[in-house]
Amino acid sequence: MSNSLTFVHRIEGWLDLLSKLCLIICAVALATLVATFGWLVWGRYVMNVTPTWVEQLGLLLVGYIAFLGAAVGIHEQFHLSVTLFRDAFGPKMTGIWRFIIDIILASFGGVMFVAGLELFAFGWETMLPMLNIPESFRTLAFVICGALIAIFAGFRAVFRVIYWKNGETYPDPVHHEEA
Amino acid sequence: MGLAILLGMFAGAVVIGVPVAFAMGIAAASAFWYEGFPLLITFQRTMSGISVFALLAIPFFVFAGEIMLHGGIAIRLVRFAGALVGHIRGGLATVNILSSMLFGGISGSAIADISALGSILIPVMKEKGYHADYAVNVTVTSSIAGIVIPPSHNMIIYAVAAGGGISVSKLFLAGVVPGVMMCLCLAVAAYWIAVRRNYPAEPFPGWVSVAKTGAIAIPGLITAVIIVGGVLSGIFTVTESGAFGAIYAVILTSVFYRTLGWKEFTIALTSAVRTTAMVMILIGFAGAFAYLLALYQVPDKLSELLLGISSKTWMILLMINLMLLVLGMIMDMAALILICTPIFLPIAKDLGMDPIQFGIMMLVNLGLGLCTPPVGTCLFAGCAVGRIRIEDAVKSIFPFYLAIFVALILVTYVPAVSMTLPALLGE
Repeated sequence: MSNSLTFVHRIEGWLDLLSKLCLIICAVALATLVATFGWLVWGRYVMNVTPTWVEQLGLLLVGYIAFLGAAVGIHEQFHLSVTLFRDAFGPKMTGIWRFIIDIILASFGGVMFVAGLELFAFGWETMLPMLNIPESFRTLAFVICGALIAIFAGFRAVFRVIYWKNGETYPDPVHHEEA
Repeated sequence: MGLAILLGMFAGAVVIGVPVAFAMGIAAASAFWYEGFPLLITFQRTMSGISVFALLAIPFFVFAGEIMLHGGIAIRLVRFAGALVGHIRGGLATVNILSSMLFGGISGSAIADISALGSILIPVMKEKGYHADYAVNVTVTSSIAGIVIPPSHNMIIYAVAAGGGISVSKLFLAGVVPGVMMCLCLAVAAYWIAVRRNYPAEPFPGWVSVAKTGAIAIPGLITAVIIVGGVLSGIFTVTESGAFGAIYAVILTSVFYRTLGWKEFTIALTSAVRTTAMVMILIGFAGAFAYLLALYQVPDKLSELLLGISSKTWMILLMINLMLLVLGMIMDMAALILICTPIFLPIAKDLGMDPIQFGIMMLVNLGLGLCTPPVGTCLFAGCAVGRIRIEDAVKSIFPFYLAIFVALILVTYVPAVSMTLPALLGE
């Protein structure tokens, strides 16, 4: 194996770890979401006290699940795509299309990151009701999502080029789509 | 020009294979930029699209479905359905359809249905002499029941895409009769093929066995009762009932059935995260996309176009159905609900159609799209589980398509099919 491919595998390992970390954060957020809503129902009907902060916390957590999960989706390539046309012209063209898609996604991730930073700064003075933390904490998920998309898609585009130079095709993961 | 940029960028990005959610985001950002709006608006719309309280139900429904899938509910439902209808000619197909109706009604996910039931029933059907294509086709087409029979997270997506003015409990009620009717149509198609191919019937195990298997399966079915009943009775909001249903499912499968260990729990959790993220990011970017569609008056323009072709209500509804069918062949359900609802719903309303009926029509229609090539997520999943090629499966799938199409036509042209139950129960 060439040095460049060894380098790719090492970086890929770090990216996998980053993606897994995001997935764990999302899983903890989802488990917390379920538990807090269980607490909401329990509080309302058994203890006769409705914990009003649950709904706002829920909206905050679902933002993290959505945006960090979406970034994981870019890494694992599980987002819904129309692959019919992309795959219609043979493996070589498919590889080129995939490279272009990665560049587009990395650029869009960059735009999300920059715009997200502006939103982050904009929301610092506004407090989330019931939680009393800055609105920016909600935007933070979006900023991280943009950065991660740029990183995941950008590195993959670079890896594709390195694989091509070594006469190999980048091994894309199998899709797992949901309906 | 702005509209051309919006639609052109979206179509171009989708065609080359950019994920649909991001294609919507890119197209919306480009159109906003062209119109001279600050780019921030795209992302503000995306964020506010996700920050809707009703949407919190989606992760709960998805998680409850995953717990059902990994927690051993499916096998108990299959045993119950087997005892109840296995003695009919081609009985395992009827068992498959009934199981889909029961399991799909709980999980609300067509893919979960195929993964859970297909992996149990397709090998058994093949072993008993049923052809693989038949086993796969029955599994794939009956999985749509999960989308139409409540609870279904796609109904929440529709309610949100429709602008939030639609009652989810009404949608839940409206989906019951069309879902059951669709399964009956599929059962007729399956029976007809079973007789032609001389498939066997299972021996009737007796009513004691039916009662026993039913008693074991009922706790699983209660999940759906909690979710739907909680919403209809007004005790819970949709979100709370989803959370309560998920908690009940975890307790049932881990404490009582003892089939949900830590490993299955984490698989269910991470799988639910993936699905939730995929759906929520679609909803987020669709918020920005739909805002622009409204800004460019796309529904009005399309309405004018359709009325220019014909002024007859039945013809316009047929055209809408055909358009949805074609789109459903190449794109997935959640994305199409989010894109097409703001476009077609105003037209349907102008024609006097109730938004609830339109929603059910759209779900049945797009559900059919999940079973059709070239892009049919359920068909692909079914073929993977059944280990047959897609070309082999579609050769004999047409009677099943016809069955769903009959159900679709009835839902479209007979309002009573979907609207009777909401009217009867006073919702």
